[in-house]
Amino acid sequence: MVRDLYMFSRGEKALVVWFSILYKTNMGAEAKINSALGEMEVKIRFAYLDNTEPDGQGKYVLFTEIEEETQVDMINKRLLAIDGIIDVESGISRNRMIHSVDFPLNFLGERALITRSKTFVDILKIIREHVIQPDGLLLLSGLKGGRGAAKYVRNIMPVDMKNCMAVLRELFLASGWGKLEVDFDKESCSGKVVVRDSFIADAYGPSDLPVCGYMSGFIAGYMTEMMRYTFQVREVSCKSMGNAVCEHVVSPAPDGVKPEHIMKEEIQ
Amino acid sequence: MIRQPNVILGNDKILVTMGKKGELFGFFYPRRDYAQHVEESLVCLQIDNRLMWTNNHEWYSTQHYLEDTNMVITELVHGIGIKINIQDFAHQRASVMVRKYTISAEKDINGTFFYYSNLCVGEMHKKNSAFCDPDVGLLAQYWQDNYIGIMASPPFEQWQVGKAMDTIWWTNARYDMEDGKLQNNKEDIGYLNTVVGWDLKLKAGQSREITVFIGAAPKRTQLYKMMLEIVQEPVNNMLENSRQDWINWLSKKDLLKLSLLDDTPETKQQVLEAFNRCLLTLDLLNDPKHGSFVAAPEFDHDFEMCGGYGYCWNRDVSEVAVALLNAGYPEYCERFFHWCRRTQLSDGSWFQRYWLDGNTAPSWGNFDHSTQIDETGATLHAMYTFYSTLRGLQKAEFLENIWITVLTGAEYLMRRTTDGLHDPCLDLWESYAGSFAYTSAAIFAGLKAAAFMARAYSEPGLASRWLERAELVKNKTIEKMWLKEGYFAKCLADGKLDPAVDASMIGTFTPFNMLSATDPEEREMILSMLKAIEERLSVSVNGYHGIKRYENDRYIEGNPWIVTTLWLSKAMLTLANSLHNAPGTDTEVSRLVQGAVNYIKWALRGTTSTGMLPEQVDKHKGYPAWAIPLGWSCALMIDNILLLETFSEETHDGKI
Repeated sequence: MVRDLYMFSRGEKALVVWFSILYKTNMGAEAKINSALGEMEVKIRFAYLDNTEPDGQGKYVLFTEIEEETQVDMINKRLLAIDGIIDVESGISRNRMIHSVDFPLNFLGERALITRSKTFVDILKIIREHVIQPDGLLLLSGLKGGRGAAKYVRNIMPVDMKNCMAVLRELFLASGWGKLEVDFDKESCSGKVVVRDSFIADAYGPSDLPVCGYMSGFIAGYMTEMMRYTFQVREVSCKSMGNAVCEHVVSPAPDGVKPEHIMKEEIQ
Repeated sequence: MIRQPNVILGNDKILVTMGKKGELFGFFYPRRDYAQHVEESLVCLQIDNRLMWTNNHEWYSTQHYLEDTNMVITELVHGIGIKINIQDFAHQRASVMVRKYTISAEKDINGTFFYYSNLCVGEMHKKNSAFCDPDVGLLAQYWQDNYIGIMASPPFEQWQVGKAMDTIWWTNARYDMEDGKLQNNKEDIGYLNTVVGWDLKLKAGQSREITVFIGAAPKRTQLYKMMLEIVQEPVNNMLENSRQDWINWLSKKDLLKLSLLDDTPETKQQVLEAFNRCLLTLDLLNDPKHGSFVAAPEFDHDFEMCGGYGYCWNRDVSEVAVALLNAGYPEYCERFFHWCRRTQLSDGSWFQRYWLDGNTAPSWGNFDHSTQIDETGATLHAMYTFYSTLRGLQKAEFLENIWITVLTGAEYLMRRTTDGLHDPCLDLWESYAGSFAYTSAAIFAGLKAAAFMARAYSEPGLASRWLERAELVKNKTIEKMWLKEGYFAKCLADGKLDPAVDASMIGTFTPFNMLSATDPEEREMILSMLKAIEERLSVSVNGYHGIKRYENDRYIEGNPWIVTTLWLSKAMLTLANSLHNAPGTDTEVSRLVQGAVNYIKWALRGTTSTGMLPEQVDKHKGYPAWAIPLGWSCALMIDNILLLETFSEETHDGKI
């Protein structure tokens, strides 16, 4: 399956469309596809060849921008008519940004890198072992990232209360952090964010306590910046503790809170 | 976190280190070594919904001392047309730092002026407590008997006491500042940060003054009393009183003509300023209560890249105290030697390094084989240097008080030199184990010093014994460590000589005079040593040459050091002095003096913008590189300048 890779275009009206073309790997097969795309004036914004298909088959995935949704069917038909094409799938991206996969990698307008989640988690563990108040430090680190992400996204596309959590979900997917399910009540400014397959929890291993505080901070920072409202986000259950998913509770930050109330855990 | 200061200030109660942009790096109270209460403390403006931290790269800064004082002027300019002038100084009497801000704008601004602090009172991130008393306008943070208070004139209008590193992130003072309005939380505990704020509305061309007072006290009641008194005083009076105090202190120094440098007035001015700056700096490094000095204000509290510098080494302070003595400030010697009497170990030696109050400091020299014998020799040598300047009753009293210290110190040196060459121990750089020419020279000088005082104390037997051993130490060191290439080996360890050139061999000439310039054969040895050092340890940077410590030095990039460079120039000037007026030596004298002046110029190019002398200069960029300011560097600069002055006194035409 082709995941909707959080591919955005800067064009206001253009749609980002992906095509997944399954073909027989005969000599010149890819050239025929490209030739047909060229004839239809399809400009490829991003593409890759999937080499994990069975022997004798190849998959060519491309992303392009088109003006009219009706053009998608026309392109599908034209591709299917090429000799050696087994199947063509397509879909329209809801989002509009393309991030670089060339060197240097770029993500959310900044230099990016690929790291093993174990490496990231090793850093978290060392922080936990050696720093006072590691939960606060990790939350603040995530908070900064979440606010920065929100500012960037807001700058490049229209976001509002309706779609900002959908964009957050895409961000988590695109960066490989996990799959989000959001249950948020805008009236009470409270709810729950479930993270499936959190990269932190998966790499961390068993723990007696939640370990995804960095993500809580990211979510808090993102939501606070997007909704101009101060949120408290706390992870209440975690995959590392043996739960199926990680669960982050979102609530308004207590107003006029006194430290002694927090210490006595009167405020949850 | 390691941060090298650009400037320091203080009084007899506090020591403050700051960066180029007026941000506090350290606030030491009640001693110069402990406790350091500040993680961050600086101004931030909130304008157009944006926080403008004054240590941000967007601010261009210049910084200098008010002439002949330890008062600092910092000018910050932002591209959007905002200027901030900061006058920083310590109060004349109280343990209070005064920070007078003048903010001016080229266009209308409407925002907030914040003074933000992340304090770790008592060097503790944990278990701090902070509160704001809005009735008196005091924000205080404390741990045990350490109270740090912030007051202001005019009083601050809003505040926040927050958690610096907690999951309840919205109480964090840094985040609270973003909308320009603070939550005014009155108290909290734990790892905290705080901020106080004022509305800042300026029309184009207008300016506003805000003065922040940061005070320290051992008790809450004392903090309240002190701060409430201080805030009533007109700031300009405080400033003028403090300025006058420093000028008065500096007026005690020996006056310099430096006619030798008349042909280069710019250099002469720089040298005169350096002399004053070094004296003023050394006063700030001194603990007036105990008499000890920190080698440098501590900047590596966690020993991340070194063993730290905020302690008292007898070796360094022996140089520092004697430099101050020669410059006209004998009182530092008196207090230091009183401290030495108190801190001497039962075996007669001194420990590697101490806290300023005399407690032994963290050390990697706890055993006989890892101690540094040179420190005991250097201390006795400095004691005698001071003793020989005294007269009459004062001289007799000093000797009476110090005699047991001298006796036990000398006997310690005797025990460690039974074969002439000293037992294996650590070198002065605290890196190598073995026997060293520098250490031998310090022992030689220590034993001779003790012997001279023994004679004065009517102990001729001891004097003879110690003098005899001193000569044995000298002879054995030359016999076993002098290389045919014409210099001392770096080290003798396990029967093997390390032939690397090490600048510390200069110590055999100055200050310890094991080799005498008046002896023709030894003079040739000195010249040969200096030549080897210049040939093999020179590093070209900043348009001149600096001298690194030894070949293959790996410590902090193996940079050239101010200490070794000024040590070499001191040796050159001392040698030139000894040759002066001898027939047929004009060319040699001129070469030595000119060479020394070039080394001094190199050292001056390696200071911070405020004239602080570091330990090292970056060998690639020429920046001050490490341990700023270093007391030993200051002492050697003073020594060099006083030597230059002897030429000015002795030459008729005042020319090199």
